[in-house]
Amino acid sequence: MEINKILLVSALAVGSITTHADVRIGVVSSSTGPVAMVGIPQKNTVALLPKTIGGEKVTYISLDDASDPTASVKAINKLISESNVDAIIGPSGSPNASAVIGIIAKAQVPLLAPVGTSTVVLPMNPQKKWVFKTTQNDDLIAQALVEDMVKRKIKTLGFIGTADPYGENWSKVVAHLAASKGIKLTQKESFQRQDTSLTGQALKLIAGKPQAILIAAPGSSAVTPQVALYDRGYRGQIYQTHGAALDQFLKLGGKKVDNTILAASLMLVINEIDNKHPSKVIALKYMNNYKKIYGEYPATFGANVYDAGLLLEKAIPVALKQAKPGSIQFRQALRTALEQTKELAGTQGVYNMTPMDHSGFDKRGRVMVTVKNGQWKLLK
Amino acid sequence: MDLDIALILGQDGITSGAIYALLALCILLVFTVTRILLIPLGEFSVFGALTLASIQAGTPSRIVWLLVVFFAFQLMLDLYAGFRNKTPFHLRSHILWAIYIGLVVGAMYFLPLASLPMLIQVLLALAVITPLGPQIYRLFFQPLVAAKSLVLLIVSIAVHVALVGIGLLVFGPDGAQTQPFSEAVYQWGNLAVNSQTLYIIAAFFSMILVLWYFFGKTLYGKALRATAVNRVGAQLMGISPIFAGKITFAMAAFMGAFAGILIAPITTLYYDSGFIISLKGFVGAIIGGLASFPVAAAGSVAVGIIEAFSMFWASDYKEIIVFTLIIPFLLWKSLTSRHIEEDHE
Amino acid sequence: MKSKYLFVGFAALMALSPLILPAYQVTLLNYIGLNALVVLGLVLLTGVGGMTSFGQAALVGIGAYSTAYLTVTEQLPQFLMWTGGSPWAGLLLGIVLTVISAFLVGGLTLKLSGHYLPLGTIAWGISLYYFFSTIESLGGHSGISNIPSISIASYALDTSNKMFYLIWLILFVAIILTKNILNSREGRAIRALKGGQVMAESMGVNTFRSKMVVFVISSVFASISGWLYAHNQSFINPTPFGLQMGIDYLFMALLGGVGSIWGAIFGAGIFTMLRQWLQDLMPVIFGNDGQYETIVFGLMIVLLMQKAPSGLWPMLVKLVPPRFKANDLHTELTEPTQALPAGDLPPKGTLILEAKNVTKKFGGLVANNNMNLKIHAGEILALIGPNGAGKSTMFNQLSGVDVPTSGEVIFLGEKINGMLSREIAKKGLSRTFQHVKILPEMTVLENVVIGAHLRGKKGVWASLFRLDREEENNLLNEAKFQLERVGLGDYLYTEAGNLALGQQRILEIARALCAHPSLLLLDEPAAGLRLKEKQALAELLMKLKAEGMATLLVEHDMDFVMNLVDHVVVMEFGEKIAEGLPEDIQKNEAVLEAYLGGAA
Repeated sequence: MEINKILLVSALAVGSITTHADVRIGVVSSSTGPVAMVGIPQKNTVALLPKTIGGEKVTYISLDDASDPTASVKAINKLISESNVDAIIGPSGSPNASAVIGIIAKAQVPLLAPVGTSTVVLPMNPQKKWVFKTTQNDDLIAQALVEDMVKRKIKTLGFIGTADPYGENWSKVVAHLAASKGIKLTQKESFQRQDTSLTGQALKLIAGKPQAILIAAPGSSAVTPQVALYDRGYRGQIYQTHGAALDQFLKLGGKKVDNTILAASLMLVINEIDNKHPSKVIALKYMNNYKKIYGEYPATFGANVYDAGLLLEKAIPVALKQAKPGSIQFRQALRTALEQTKELAGTQGVYNMTPMDHSGFDKRGRVMVTVKNGQWKLLK
Repeated sequence: MDLDIALILGQDGITSGAIYALLALCILLVFTVTRILLIPLGEFSVFGALTLASIQAGTPSRIVWLLVVFFAFQLMLDLYAGFRNKTPFHLRSHILWAIYIGLVVGAMYFLPLASLPMLIQVLLALAVITPLGPQIYRLFFQPLVAAKSLVLLIVSIAVHVALVGIGLLVFGPDGAQTQPFSEAVYQWGNLAVNSQTLYIIAAFFSMILVLWYFFGKTLYGKALRATAVNRVGAQLMGISPIFAGKITFAMAAFMGAFAGILIAPITTLYYDSGFIISLKGFVGAIIGGLASFPVAAAGSVAVGIIEAFSMFWASDYKEIIVFTLIIPFLLWKSLTSRHIEEDHE
Repeated sequence: MKSKYLFVGFAALMALSPLILPAYQVTLLNYIGLNALVVLGLVLLTGVGGMTSFGQAALVGIGAYSTAYLTVTEQLPQFLMWTGGSPWAGLLLGIVLTVISAFLVGGLTLKLSGHYLPLGTIAWGISLYYFFSTIESLGGHSGISNIPSISIASYALDTSNKMFYLIWLILFVAIILTKNILNSREGRAIRALKGGQVMAESMGVNTFRSKMVVFVISSVFASISGWLYAHNQSFINPTPFGLQMGIDYLFMALLGGVGSIWGAIFGAGIFTMLRQWLQDLMPVIFGNDGQYETIVFGLMIVLLMQKAPSGLWPMLVKLVPPRFKANDLHTELTEPTQALPAGDLPPKGTLILEAKNVTKKFGGLVANNNMNLKIHAGEILALIGPNGAGKSTMFNQLSGVDVPTSGEVIFLGEKINGMLSREIAKKGLSRTFQHVKILPEMTVLENVVIGAHLRGKKGVWASLFRLDREEENNLLNEAKFQLERVGLGDYLYTEAGNLALGQQRILEIARALCAHPSLLLLDEPAAGLRLKEKQALAELLMKLKAEGMATLLVEHDMDFVMNLVDHVVVMEFGEKIAEGLPEDIQKNEAVLEAYLGGAA
């Protein structure tokens, strides 16, 4: 019985390892699990990515990693060994991306990671040269928030994050940055997404009497601590991360989340953005096309995948001149081409990659946003 | 920590604790009558809450189709059993079920959900979730009436796993919160007591009263207790263990969904929040030795309070603290039991 | 076909797979091998030992995190410096930590019965998972990456194909060791854990120790699996060591067949491949929205439990043509090398057992009230009385299964009331049971040789490495001798559950005799026997009496008793109402009153 099983499987598998004419892009996103808010719009955006580039057909192979880094590793392995992809877009979460760097580097497959943590590309080393980021760095966002705090003369900060890779990552970033600007971190709390009550953590945070509190949680779980703090009487300034940049946040929080400050993608307040900003046109095109297919505007996270598509659209024709898709030479050429991207306007900002900087963003890549009367508004 | 904070945390702990105690009650109930450890209990709670949230948002919840699907399978299996094994096919009860489900589906789709009075919304949600209990019993547990306890436990877990997947399908990955029963907040000295807390505690005590009456004074209740003590004996007296199972599951689904609805206004629930909540109910039930309800209730409230205080002192470690709580009880039990127990098959 | 050939054939097939299969399938086989190692431990623990554990995944985690920590941390603490961050040291550290945890956790949960055990394992399984996720130096939720590969000498196992051989080699060694231990003195003690604990204890088996042995062995397997996993994947985080995975392992075990070793591999294989297949197939049919494979899996397991609770492997085995089935599953007996240790029986007339004012109360009910009796070597004593007189309760007080509320039981001058039944067995007391307690799936020979447990010495290490074959042979020969003595010599390799009830009772006597006791306690030995069988039994008991054995029987059959015994004690309502020679008892008024309600 074992024999038959193995023979059948090998027969089926033999066909898939030859080099292929079309370009194959793997996509790993978290369409289920805690980071699903991020992953679902990303997965949906795949339908909007270019179907042919440089005269070659492009095939996208999508896999879900359920927000779990171990599953990301398995998915990436599968894409590399079973589907022989030329590049991979994903995963959705920062720690998921960190987990797979070693593997894609060893297989020499370029990874376009729409994740926030800068550690996937900095400090640059032989492994990380295979990774490119299409999301603003967490510390770019954090810097914007901290600069705002300095402007408002805030000296004490409380922190609460989810007890998962997202929150954990942010707590490290914030601790580091706050210290460098002389802001004291009074309290660091954590909570589980499924917790039925956050009273304990809220009370502890308030007891430290911080002038501001930063909440780091993905998706709708970002609302719960803010509401808990409000209910317990906290009226200091609340900062959120871009994990809260969803309309769900406004809906669930209602009046209690007015005056929150976040630094996020310009897509949240697209109508207030100056027409001269190079990303406005691209972002509007993306948002309208997405709405045509899915009936609603996309969350900003989907745009990071769209930008990955734009980067590839520019780099693949260059690589095609040097090698055929499906070969290691093609992937090496693709990596080099990506690294040479200059002044490419994406939905999130303008990309300028260099061998040392694989994130490519500058200050044009993020805006300060606040909540007024249940709407996102540009922070003036 | 000052008194104010302690009082707030205490209130918080009692609130969660009462919910855990309600769940512990369900667990004990189902275990004593059917020997099944109802791991999917958390899913009933969460389904109840999410159904109510959907109703309040004015969207018909697709969970009603689960009732229809289960009913279809139930019908097929009963027909097959009637045909193959000549077990009597109860046409009347199936027709009644069909009518009930039809009414529920109709109510869900044709009533102006968002503008119904809250009481009706809650009743509708309960009306949708409660029948899932006996349906689940019929489809998954009825063929296993005489099975070994390991098999029952595994099936219970498998049903839980499947229900979580179904929950994701029906309710989506988003969390939801329902509107509170009332916005009132009472001042008691320095402490602001949330009216929701009072509702929860009131519900808890009324549930106990109702169950005490049911099991102590009514014939059906005594029949269930008989089944718990000796299944075969009860069968000889004309009490069908299958009937007992269905009633028990209906009660558990009702109380579970009710517990979910009680807690939904004060917290955001997700399709997968049920498991961890029911596990804490299990901790309470274990403290009660899987037999004594008063001890299980006290234990559950203690779990709630310890959890609340741990969240304050060491929020990173609170889950570890709560689950390692069981260890002293296990230790106590193991030191006081001298005998080698055989598996009671 | 000899099972050795089947095994080697399978091994050869596996050895060839990396050469013919594509890379992804080899990766899949690696995952199957890793899972199978853990599930093997679970089969031992749950299938054989009857202890359901959801915590195996957490133990895998200990193994994985130990090696990850050791090999990745740049600054090791002083006492670990000497390891130099080698993966092999990681293996050692992992095993040590896992075994320590197993002792701690096992000590707490293994004494529990029924449902406490699985719930207890869920509790510490969850606690360990949260422990992994909150400790900073273990990487928290983000995990530990860049774990180096294992190297043998300087040859690095850095590809799936290379790791394949290590993983499956270790798995095969584990299978061999498991088979070894199950077919040994320790193994029988372990196999008795499921449904035969009271019986095993009265034969001298320390059931708690056996439970610990199984638990520790399964935890070592889990730890090694964790070590292999960490170095294979080069990244770990807490998720694969949580309750979800613990549940998955149990599902795998049940899928294959929780009681069979090969079922473990089969179950792991089917589960892993099915999950992959569903993950690929479901989105195509249903669209991308949900975790459909959990629904399908949950429903499948339910269906499996309803229709085939012993798993798929036994069903598969039935389909295999007999030519390919293993036919040498029994250990062949050879001539014994020496007689087993056997002390001399006390000389005739020695007072063997005395009960002094033994009273047993169950709440308000007094089951035994100030019972006194004496048994001497070379004597057969019968304890008779109407139903409900308290004979079996008295029996339990005498044999250590229960503890008297007051009074003393003295065996060869030593007080034994309150002693554990296995301690009493060591003193030389052996018994049978009113409700036959045998292990129906084991052979008659294997059941009987449990009686000789205390006369053997070879423990866990000896059985793992097959150093116990000589003693095993001697033990089995003794069992064979006793079986021939009681007349069951033709049934050595029959499954004990297939014997008629009367024969099973005789089996129990043979088992008791294997212990070479000085006192034999027989609880209704003649029940269910035909006339010829009763005669044979009576002859045997007379023979034993002539050799100096003391025997106490509880019986209902008056003919059997009166023609056989030397001394009769009559009980009614928990008290002794008469005592003496058989012919005197038959005329005693009180006795007639008790049995018949009045003088005849």
